[in-house]
Amino acid sequence: MPQVRIIAKNFMDLVAALPAMKLDKLYESTFICEAVLRSLPPMAKRYVLQMLYIDTLITAKSMEEWLLPDGLSKHKVAIDRLLQLRVFLEVTDRKKETSYKINPKFQSNIQKYLVSGGTLPREPMPLSITVRLPTLEDLETYASEQWECFLLQLINSAQAEKLTSFSSSMIKICRENEPPKLTENGFQFLLMDTNAQLWYIIREYISTAEDRGVDPTDLISFLLELSFHTLGEAYNLNTLTDVQRIAIKDLADLGLVKLQQGRKESWFIPTKLATNLSASFTDSSSNKEGFVVVETNFRMYAYSTSKLYCEILRLFSRIEYQLPNLLVGAITKESLYNAFENGITADQVEHYQFCYYLLYLFTTLCVFCNNLIDSLLLYRIIICSDFFLNFCLFRLFVFFSKMHILELHKRYLQFQKMLQIRLGSGKPIKIELRSLLHIYTKIFHQRKYLKQHVILQGSWVDCCLKIQEPCD
Amino acid sequence: MNAASAPSKLYSDDVSLIVVLLDANPFFWASSAAAAGDSASSHHPTTTLPFSKLLNHVIPLLNSLLLLNQLNQVVLVATGVNSCGYIYDSGDGGGGSACGSVPAICSEILRRLEEFVVKDRLQGKSPDKVVATGVSSLLSGSLSLALCYIQRVFRSRARHPQPRILCLQGSPDGPEQYVAVMNAIFSAQRSMIPIDSCVMGVQHSAFLQQASYITGGVYLKPQQLDGLFQYLSAVFATDLQSRNFLQLPKPAGVDFRASCFCHKKTIDMGYVCSVCLSIFCKHHKKCSTCGSDFSQGPTDANADRKRKTSEVQP
Repeated sequence: MPQVRIIAKNFMDLVAALPAMKLDKLYESTFICEAVLRSLPPMAKRYVLQMLYIDTLITAKSMEEWLLPDGLSKHKVAIDRLLQLRVFLEVTDRKKETSYKINPKFQSNIQKYLVSGGTLPREPMPLSITVRLPTLEDLETYASEQWECFLLQLINSAQAEKLTSFSSSMIKICRENEPPKLTENGFQFLLMDTNAQLWYIIREYISTAEDRGVDPTDLISFLLELSFHTLGEAYNLNTLTDVQRIAIKDLADLGLVKLQQGRKESWFIPTKLATNLSASFTDSSSNKEGFVVVETNFRMYAYSTSKLYCEILRLFSRIEYQLPNLLVGAITKESLYNAFENGITADQVEHYQFCYYLLYLFTTLCVFCNNLIDSLLLYRIIICSDFFLNFCLFRLFVFFSKMHILELHKRYLQFQKMLQIRLGSGKPIKIELRSLLHIYTKIFHQRKYLKQHVILQGSWVDCCLKIQEPCD
Repeated sequence: MNAASAPSKLYSDDVSLIVVLLDANPFFWASSAAAAGDSASSHHPTTTLPFSKLLNHVIPLLNSLLLLNQLNQVVLVATGVNSCGYIYDSGDGGGGSACGSVPAICSEILRRLEEFVVKDRLQGKSPDKVVATGVSSLLSGSLSLALCYIQRVFRSRARHPQPRILCLQGSPDGPEQYVAVMNAIFSAQRSMIPIDSCVMGVQHSAFLQQASYITGGVYLKPQQLDGLFQYLSAVFATDLQSRNFLQLPKPAGVDFRASCFCHKKTIDMGYVCSVCLSIFCKHHKKCSTCGSDFSQGPTDANADRKRKTSEVQP
């Protein structure tokens, strides 16, 4: 995986990063204007609608007067976005007052759309030629298969069942994945949901387009146009330009379109991945419900037929049985060590969308006294994430009531030393002690204990005094 | 007040379901068109709007709502004199994209509106009412239709758009609908569905003022009706999330007057049943809603007073 910090909203940033002239040229197409409008934050959308039929300049001050007091930050974000994408143009007059006006090309295109709608440059082909189109379910399975195959290739090329013939451009993107180990960013990538992953890959595809001699603006406009096609309808390949024809072969490898050939004509059918291209990000429509169940003894049951999930789970747990639709495994300390060594942090394990039920991990804290290091590691997962805190406090209650706070502190110092010896990690664990004490006071409100022991040791004082702050 | 369905299941952004209740009262629009024709030379040309021009503003509004978000849904309900009906639902049959079919949507809406008005007229008891300007439209019926639709959406899927109701009303309020409208308003309040109102008639509407006040929507009576689209897009197209950050128009005061349950007249002061809170303009022996007895009335109080005074005096 490329070693870049992965941000969810990445396609529009790419569009925003284009130079002004190219951006204005892009806005000549109604579809791009529509797609850009849909990708804006809600406040920005509203501003665009409001300014749609206004030809004069509106001063920035008057726009701020429309706001309630706590809306200022959202307003700023919206205005920034609008200026970045050159939907709003900023004008500064002699009195140094800024005013905004809407980009005229954008404005006229949207006005036209509101009254008469947009028309695609191509019409779906009649059924007489295409004879039998795949059903929507077939299309979806095709799309998910292709996509998973692609992702599997990225994780572990040996595992891919069939090597799809990726074009050289795609392979170039994944070049950094030579070593079979998955890096931290790689794991982060896998844990994003499909839309975000798709955007990431497409962004890489477009950024490398210039190396291949393809104008990125053409690609961007084609992709955005593609998202407005109707799902499941066939469109003739000869309506595409050369650039688009090359691009569509790559997109077929990703599962965005399905290519089919008739007797004389060949056509492409957009799948759900393509039509969702212009959907907004916050609405990430991944209503995957938890189908991973983790028991209190750390055994894990995942109901899934997908190889991809198997691989992902294998990254931090030990798979014991793999049945046709069920994966049985256990989260063990070795598997967790493995995961941590590969740089996968506990937060990511936790944030993985369908691991809602990992919180049951908590209950084995009673081994605290015996297997100190191991349980502390598990404890680190829990402490480092507020997500768990909310759910697991009741368990802690049972556990901590048996321990006096001083004793706890002594033990903690021991653990710190031993951890540093064992793992050689230089990370200060003070933060964890803070959170630990935070939990303690939260549950028991035993502030009197803290006050009594406040003068004992230097670091202790630090922690106590900072108890009132929220954990980092 | 804890709405069962609303908060936890909403999308985090601005996906909305907007039910637009369009006033299709032919008497009101006819008088409005006549007034528009008359007042071409008078000094208030922008306070009246003929129905044809109204659609020029409403249909772009529907399009802009659908444009804002791929998953937005718009439903158009017509409020007639004797009945109400669903005219257009962007959710069914729309297929993947609405682009390219805007003229088709437009013609379909017009066709169905025509059918609706014809059917509505036939359902009236006396086909042509005498007092043209005083005829009210069936607001309670269309509010109920909207609420039922939204309930169905709530129950069909776990994640659903944020719903709201936009009421484009011109006809005057019919006091006989008071009870039904208030019931609809309270159920909208419970389900956390804001009711926005845009009043295009001559006078303010007490029902809609109360509706918007109670449910947390926006009430607006535009001063210049030929700029209606600008009002609609600037105020009513704002999604619910952004409303927390923007200042939207507020009415100067809310008309909280009720109508009595017996004669359906609007009253300021009246008698209230202490059991079911029904409002009456005159003193009754028995509550018509819940049947409780009012026999211990003012006459008995006088008798008591007489008895007391007779006791005090030795």
